[in-house]
Amino acid sequence: TMFPLLLLLLPAAHAIVKLQYRPVLTQTPPLEGLTTASTFVLDQPRCVFGGYDDADIWLVVALDKATSTFNNTAAPGTPETAFQRFPDSVPAYMTLNATLANYPCPKPAGDITVLRVGSETSCARDEARPTCNGPLPGPGPYRVKFLALRGSEPVAETDWSLPIVLRTAKSPSSISTTESGHSAGMIAITTILSILFAILLAGLVAML
Amino acid sequence: MAKSDDCVHILQGLLVFGNVVIGMCGIALTAECIYFVSNPHGLYPLLKATENDINAAAWIGIFVGLALFALSILGIIAVIKASRTLLLVYIILMLITFAFEMASCITAATHRDSLTPSVFLKQMLERYQKSEPANNSNNEFTKTWDELMLQNHCCGVLGPSDWQEYTSAFRLTHNDADYPWPRKCCVLDAQGLPVSLDGCKLGVPGYYNSNGCYDAISGPVNTHAWGVAWFGFAILCWTFCVLLGTMFYWSGIEY
Repeated sequence: TMFPLLLLLLPAAHAIVKLQYRPVLTQTPPLEGLTTASTFVLDQPRCVFGGYDDADIWLVVALDKATSTFNNTAAPGTPETAFQRFPDSVPAYMTLNATLANYPCPKPAGDITVLRVGSETSCARDEARPTCNGPLPGPGPYRVKFLALRGSEPVAETDWSLPIVLRTAKSPSSISTTESGHSAGMIAITTILSILFAILLAGLVAML
Repeated sequence: MAKSDDCVHILQGLLVFGNVVIGMCGIALTAECIYFVSNPHGLYPLLKATENDINAAAWIGIFVGLALFALSILGIIAVIKASRTLLLVYIILMLITFAFEMASCITAATHRDSLTPSVFLKQMLERYQKSEPANNSNNEFTKTWDELMLQNHCCGVLGPSDWQEYTSAFRLTHNDADYPWPRKCCVLDAQGLPVSLDGCKLGVPGYYNSNGCYDAISGPVNTHAWGVAWFGFAILCWTFCVLLGTMFYWSGIEY
């Protein structure tokens, strides 16, 4: 009889607060490198995790199709959420560990507060650093969300972002260099000079 | 008879004047073409790679200019002496020079038209920072681009996104996360280091050069090409008039 009661209590104790915030790519200031082939830039979650001073705030990066299967109880720094195994063995990884102190509220006007996902290249292959913020392996699409953990317990999460697609580079051989039009000046020079030369030749023939 | 003599004298005077102008223009053309051939803008490595013929047009221009000067002297002597043979020689040689100069003008104009941004873009992507230690021309190419980007505060041909939209030789040796575009595209301080490397990598306005270098390249190329083409065209128009006058004068001389 105690068992069903315990089961009822467990979800209540582990209820994660769903915050009304969707991670978004930085809109201001306009960034040239907002999305590159292996990185993208998010706004920091300022004034979102109010009251969670003692929690660790992690960024979860997942493939678009894996967002429904992601389990909030997954622990960061383990092989199940290691960057190095993404996306072949692991559909999502956790990185960019921070606390509320890193995201002070309110945001000072004029400061650029961004998170560049994919900027750490040194640990990209280092299995000893599973929380590496390494460059993304493909164009995606990816979705991200922030997850706050107290110890090993998830306490709050944001919405999943909209799908983020990265840039794909084309080959330079696809640049066509042959379709150059002729400018009006060139046509004018050619026709007028040809006519003048023809008149001179005609004059020479008439002369002789 | 006096009136006809006067006409002949006027015609002679006009022809001598015309030849003097041709001579001076010939010298000017030679000087202008020598100036262009001496590569004042340092862009020759870029243009050499595009199989550029504007230089060829300028070389022809040098010799045509000298020929025009020599022929104008011949013309003045021939007109004053009223010698049929000399005038005939003059006319034929002038026609040959006319043809060469015509070729030079058309070549300059056509090849100016062919230097579209795509040509430079493709070349830059394929050769900038191409790591082939044995090949000196690639190093020269890279150095020219670096100087171009530094001096004109520009990046790529159309913008830094050139490096993102296309793969390149640069991308093979520099990974995308650390080098979304070359470091020379960053705003540099007095020591030549980026003012803010993170700002540059993110693409924050003010820390990187956002405009492309095509304007900086096409400016000198345009001046070069149109200088050769239009000045040559003007000389040829004047030469046409003088030659017609000479032919008319020649047909009026009695044996």
